[in-house]
Amino acid sequence: MARERKKEEESEGEGGEFAEFLADVSEEIAQRVQSLDARAKAPPEEKKKLRTPVSADAGLIVEWPNIADRMIEEVR
Amino acid sequence: MSVVNYGTREITCKIVYYGPGRSGKTTNLQHVYSQLPEERKGKMVSLATETDRTLFFDFLPLDLGTISGFATRFQLYTVPGQVYYAATRKLVLQGVDGVVFVADSQSRQLAENIESLQDLHANLADEGLDPRTLPLVMQYNKRDLPPAEISSIEDLDETLNFRGVPHFSATAINGGGVFETLRSIASLVLSRLSAPAAKES
Repeated sequence: MARERKKEEESEGEGGEFAEFLADVSEEIAQRVQSLDARAKAPPEEKKKLRTPVSADAGLIVEWPNIADRMIEEVR
Repeated sequence: MSVVNYGTREITCKIVYYGPGRSGKTTNLQHVYSQLPEERKGKMVSLATETDRTLFFDFLPLDLGTISGFATRFQLYTVPGQVYYAATRKLVLQGVDGVVFVADSQSRQLAENIESLQDLHANLADEGLDPRTLPLVMQYNKRDLPPAEISSIEDLDETLNFRGVPHFSATAINGGGVFETLRSIASLVLSRLSAPAAKES
């Protein structure tokens, strides 16, 4: 309801089809930004212990630290 | 191309209208341009031949202003549909965030639609983009033509839309379906902002 009213108000100011498009995009971005902000503000996860590769019996590496994460961490 | 730049608080989306020659890609952009309020009208760049065919590409920058603290821009491009402009199509696809495939509904154009779709997939793959996951919507244009001359939506969907992406009927010449299509691709592109694979720089 409020969204419809907002759309109508915006339609009066700008071209109808474009205004509706802008309203939809704005809403979509607001939602996304909210989720990005929430992610950014979330308390940092407990740092995973960086372990050296672990070998299975057959000598296969079953766990490998995420090199990219480590690099990003170091750059910070 | 970065979809969202958290550092500079910018969102930039590149959307490419793809499809066979004369399917109505430029007409889509012209309608969007015609609906822009004067103060938002930038320049629509259109490089056409003497016969009004797109020679290189059309480019329409849409500056949407600051939304939720992010300066938001959409860049709309078309590619030349004619087969011999393959290199140009490849170039325009670089850094694309979403594609609108504009299909010509005329039954006699079905083969051209298929060929263009295959060309799109090949070019995306060449760019290292996965045609199965890139945001895509289908637009079945020219629905105002006599029913005897056009394929049904079901037939077009079955032949072209094997990914089952959103599809829209359109009569771009009078604006029908143009903004619905744009809204859909914009939504798909923006929905990736919070996805794990979203590019943030």
